[in-house]
Amino acid sequence: MTNKTILVLNGPGLADLSAGGSQTGDLTLGQIEDECSALCEQLGLKLDFRQTEDEEEMFRWIGKDSENFGGLIINPVGSLKGDSVDFDRYRSAIGMVAHLKKPVVEVHTANIFREGSGVTKPLQASEGEMGFICGLGLRSYLLAIRAIAKRLQD
Amino acid sequence: MKICIINGPNLNLLGTREPEIYGSETLQEIGDRCRALGAEHGLDVEFLQSNFEGQIVEWIQEAIGTANAIVINAAAYTHTSVAIYDALKSYHGYKIELHISNPHTRESFRHVSYVSPVVDAVVAGFGVNGYTHVVELLAEILKENYP
Repeated sequence: MTNKTILVLNGPGLADLSAGGSQTGDLTLGQIEDECSALCEQLGLKLDFRQTEDEEEMFRWIGKDSENFGGLIINPVGSLKGDSVDFDRYRSAIGMVAHLKKPVVEVHTANIFREGSGVTKPLQASEGEMGFICGLGLRSYLLAIRAIAKRLQD
Repeated sequence: MKICIINGPNLNLLGTREPEIYGSETLQEIGDRCRALGAEHGLDVEFLQSNFEGQIVEWIQEAIGTANAIVINAAAYTHTSVAIYDALKSYHGYKIELHISNPHTRESFRHVSYVSPVVDAVVAGFGVNGYTHVVELLAEILKENYP
């Protein structure tokens, strides 16, 4: 039977979305969680929504809980902006989930490629069964949930 | 309400070219699905494909003032075309960059996009379902902005 839990991981810096610049407006992580939760309920999915300031913890969660989710949505924005980004860890964590044939979607609320955003090439680290969505605000998460729901259904 | 979905080079071969990456559905079938789905939401969907860069530039220019949103899958031109970058900059409606696969997980020459910096959003890696996902998304977004 398909595992119907979606794990949504939010990385360092996302506790306070307003710190990320003006593109996200007044959106809070709490609002995102509420909307994701409502959509999952509507689609018959379970939601496990988390945020951490500790990149290591984020990777540990992916490894430790990989048995417990059917799909992963990850917003790693904080860690991608840092100077000491561990791309290898990110790659291997995502690769492990992809290896289990579970859908993974990387999401960002803002368009990280927008001129002047200062983030130019974070995704080269992303490998495997990986969808990508950026720039849709709250809808980046909702579209990721819908896409995974469709994948789990097919 | 009108949206314009523009497809770039080689996408006319969809369904036959590397089906393990791009799926077995043809572009014609995807276009039909998008138009039908759009109609359900009161959206007029124009679904276009060209292998010629200049034709794509002209379609973007024609969308100025006539379409509420552009969805662009510029395919290989994504990674080469300054002309498409310039044209998109002149279009001020809602813009989504769409890809069937995730270019960032493929060859390194696909890692730079001239389209991404001048669109509102990027959606990649959901196979041909990406098309219907963005049509539904635009129906929602346009309804909110032009109730």
